[in-house]
Amino acid sequence: MIKIENLEKVYKTEEVETTALNGINLHVKEGEFVSIMGPSGCGKSTLLNVMGLLDKPESGSYKFIDTELLTLNDRERSNFRKRNMGFVFQNFNLIDELTVFENIELPLIYNRIPASERKTLVNEIIERMNIVNRSGHFPQQLSGGQQQRVAVARALVTKPKLVLADEPTGNLDSSHGNEVMELLCELNETGTTIVMVTHSSHDASFSNRIINLKDGHVVSEKINKSRNEELI
Amino acid sequence: MFRLNLKIALRNLWKNRGITAINVGGLAIALAAFILIAMYFSYETSFDKQNPNYNNIYVVGRIYPEFKTNYTSPPFAKAIKQNFPEVENAGITKKGFFELTIKNGKQTLFAKNFMQADYNAAKILDLKPTGGLEKPAGEADRLSYLSKESMQVLFPDKIDNKPEMVGMGASSLGINSKINGTIINNPHSNVTFDGISIGNEIGQGEDYGMNNYTTYIQVKPGTDVENLEQKITNLYRSELLKGETDQESIDEIKKISTFLDPLSNLHLKPKAGNDTPYKILIALSILGILILIIACINFTNLSIAQATKRAKEVGVKKVMGAFRFQLTTQFLVEILVQCFTATILALILAELILPKFNNLFQVNLSIWQIDNDLLWQLPLILLSITLIAGLYPALVLSGFKPALVLKGNFSTSKQSTWLRNGLLVFQFSIAVIFIIGLFIINSQLKYMRSQDLGFTANQVVYIKNLTLFNKPAKFEPVRDKILKIPGVRLATVATDVPNGAENGSNGYTVNGLQANIDFVDVDFDYFETLHIKLKDGRFFSPSFKTDTANAAVINESAVAKFGLKNPVGQTIRGCNMDYKIVGVAKDFKAQGFESAIQPTIYAIKNPCGNYKTQIMLKIEGNKMADALIALRAKWPEINPKDGEDFRYEFLDELYGKLFKKQEQLQSVFFAAALLTIFIAILGLFAFAKYITNGRIKEIAVRKILGASDIQIFKLINSSFFRMVLLANVISWPVAYILTKMWLETFAYRIDLSVLPFIASAAITILLTLFTVSIQAKKAVKANPVDALKYE
Repeated sequence: MIKIENLEKVYKTEEVETTALNGINLHVKEGEFVSIMGPSGCGKSTLLNVMGLLDKPESGSYKFIDTELLTLNDRERSNFRKRNMGFVFQNFNLIDELTVFENIELPLIYNRIPASERKTLVNEIIERMNIVNRSGHFPQQLSGGQQQRVAVARALVTKPKLVLADEPTGNLDSSHGNEVMELLCELNETGTTIVMVTHSSHDASFSNRIINLKDGHVVSEKINKSRNEELI
Repeated sequence: MFRLNLKIALRNLWKNRGITAINVGGLAIALAAFILIAMYFSYETSFDKQNPNYNNIYVVGRIYPEFKTNYTSPPFAKAIKQNFPEVENAGITKKGFFELTIKNGKQTLFAKNFMQADYNAAKILDLKPTGGLEKPAGEADRLSYLSKESMQVLFPDKIDNKPEMVGMGASSLGINSKINGTIINNPHSNVTFDGISIGNEIGQGEDYGMNNYTTYIQVKPGTDVENLEQKITNLYRSELLKGETDQESIDEIKKISTFLDPLSNLHLKPKAGNDTPYKILIALSILGILILIIACINFTNLSIAQATKRAKEVGVKKVMGAFRFQLTTQFLVEILVQCFTATILALILAELILPKFNNLFQVNLSIWQIDNDLLWQLPLILLSITLIAGLYPALVLSGFKPALVLKGNFSTSKQSTWLRNGLLVFQFSIAVIFIIGLFIINSQLKYMRSQDLGFTANQVVYIKNLTLFNKPAKFEPVRDKILKIPGVRLATVATDVPNGAENGSNGYTVNGLQANIDFVDVDFDYFETLHIKLKDGRFFSPSFKTDTANAAVINESAVAKFGLKNPVGQTIRGCNMDYKIVGVAKDFKAQGFESAIQPTIYAIKNPCGNYKTQIMLKIEGNKMADALIALRAKWPEINPKDGEDFRYEFLDELYGKLFKKQEQLQSVFFAAALLTIFIAILGLFAFAKYITNGRIKEIAVRKILGASDIQIFKLINSSFFRMVLLANVISWPVAYILTKMWLETFAYRIDLSVLPFIASAAITILLTLFTVSIQAKKAVKANPVDALKYE
């Protein structure tokens, strides 16, 4: 589904140039769950941002089901993103002024889904995420794990083809972390492609394939046999 | 989407309700000031605008080498109309040059301006008697009208519009006259009156020397006015030159020209006259705009300051596919809603302040008028302030890169910090200028009130009078009768009273040196009544027989003008006669503080002079009330022409009116300075709150590491302190130049001292430290553990 070739990204400040991505090649198949690991500063977040069309690389190619995405303009990128992608962040990034229900509803509004349909979709996912009794609460009234579940629900409500997760368990304790990882697995099992950046090999063990990045290169790629066997 | 955006906006505003209130409240106050000023501006610039020929009406005036005047003579208008086809109509008016008393039984009206106009002028000026403008029947017939207000005074119960007979002047004179009806006196016009008398022609038989009239012309649309002006000048010269043979007079006439002054200029910046009202209006408008800008800056500043908090929202929305344009619109709408609320509040405020404002500027403005310009101005203002205050923050906010803000450790860029600080410095610079201005206006006014005027207006009563007392012998019996009243110490009569009005002027020669100087024709005891000091020689006295024939007193300025060493005993020639200088009076400020004391000659006899009608009495303070009662009772006997219409004013009050304009300015400046500093402090208060909130974590860490409260106070205050200091440094030279310019409009003024500058710095710095410290205190008192907890 995703074909990334020779991706290069350089951050320039007045004094230094940092090469964040240095000729990355990466293919992700539909239905895959890929983890990206590596030390701090290896470029994994940059890669995820580029994949989410939040950042533009200097050169290279990024094809999403045969569509070249790097040549799109801002508006086209926005449109593509809202139709095809969902995001989960380490620090949840829920809007404090909106309730759980409203937070989850937001992407649907941007996708111009009619109100009645929105209500059904949000309620469906709230039920699935087991946060029904929280739907009228504001983010600050929830625990971290609950907040991240809301964030995952928000990422999923549009039924995206690709979910991008940036250290989704980074701010959670292990039991809440596991809950979130199980949620992602379930999601993956229903056919959603997931790319996740993580520091934790425990979290990575939930995925099909683990890619190791260092200094903007892919240094190794590992098929997670246990998980693949499970799938079979 | 709109519903959710609205929710986010409202919840955000509620969460920051303190700041919101300050923001909206500050803007409302500034807007209220602006609305008032905008209303005043439209009022002042629209005098006579209701005249259907507003753009085609001109006043014809004359230019002499030394002065310009709107006064012209009756034949001139006729000549203009006859000679130039582009002049559709030409007419003349004449002001009432003295106060006319009109009576109906016991009701008395003192008509300050009972003017005359010919039928053409009445048509040009769109005068509207009730029932329509009628053409007087015969050559000599007049139609007289009273303004509705005047009619009300004489005939309180009158409801019809039938003609009435009234008495003119003292009832003993037995003069009766017919009033044909009422006429609208529009105070929003250049031509105002208590009553008016309209004839087919006025000033018949008067020649080009009788320049007591105002000439109005109405030109055809599209007329080349400059060309017409030139043609009228040529016409005027050729008319004056008719039959003139004296070469000197011919040369003089060739130096005279004429000008056309459009009706729209007359109120604020007449060509013949000063444009101070115009300057004040412009200054006032600038004040209003500045205040509004300062309030807008609060908005901009706080919106950008809040950006950090809203960054996450922007990031998330962008990730979900919101376009930048949508976000910009969202923020602009949010600000529009706040500005709209502020506008409503401002209207309420303006309505509350309006009576005071009307009183100060002596106008009668109202917000609730159908034809009010506010109707289109307000929405325009609302939109502009929304754009000014909101566009930049909206662009900054909507421009956030989601990849950056969603990482969670985002802070607004250095660039916008610079902008915010810059705006804050700008606000305070304006405030400092206003404070300095206020101090300097105050000291100048104090100086004017406490300065020695050179004469004493206290306990001098000025009596309005119709009798001409040009010959001392005629005034002598009147003086004798007046002085018999207990308490009256001195009595005199003159052509002018020292109330700021201009005196007449004429050419005088001493030792072959000719100069144009002021003249005041006086009677005995003039200098004594006004307590003017003698510099040299003596004042007039009945014991010198020649004093009534050819004696003159000149003032110090005149001595200087002619460069005289020993003036007493020398001869000064003017009006074809020789005067002997008998004394020199010390200069006194008869014309107020704005114009320098004019070189002046005082004489009892002056064939070229004006009418001596202004009676002045010096009365003992403790007998004032009784003396005035006695004067009123005896006035019909003392001065039969005025009879029972005894009217007086206290000279000190009359002179005090000269300060009115400056006091107006003082009030406006006081309000403006107070407003700007208040709004700036409001902004600072909210801004400091924001900055401190943003630094709570930093402060907590510093406290844990051992920082004392004082150190933290210093830390938070230092950047604000520097900004306010900078604002002072920036505004000092500006304030210096502006106040110096203002002071230069006074002939007698204070020297600029450093005190106002120091004081304004002290005030702004203290206010800043106080405001910021209130906020800092909260951060200092907070438990650092709470601040450092995981959010």
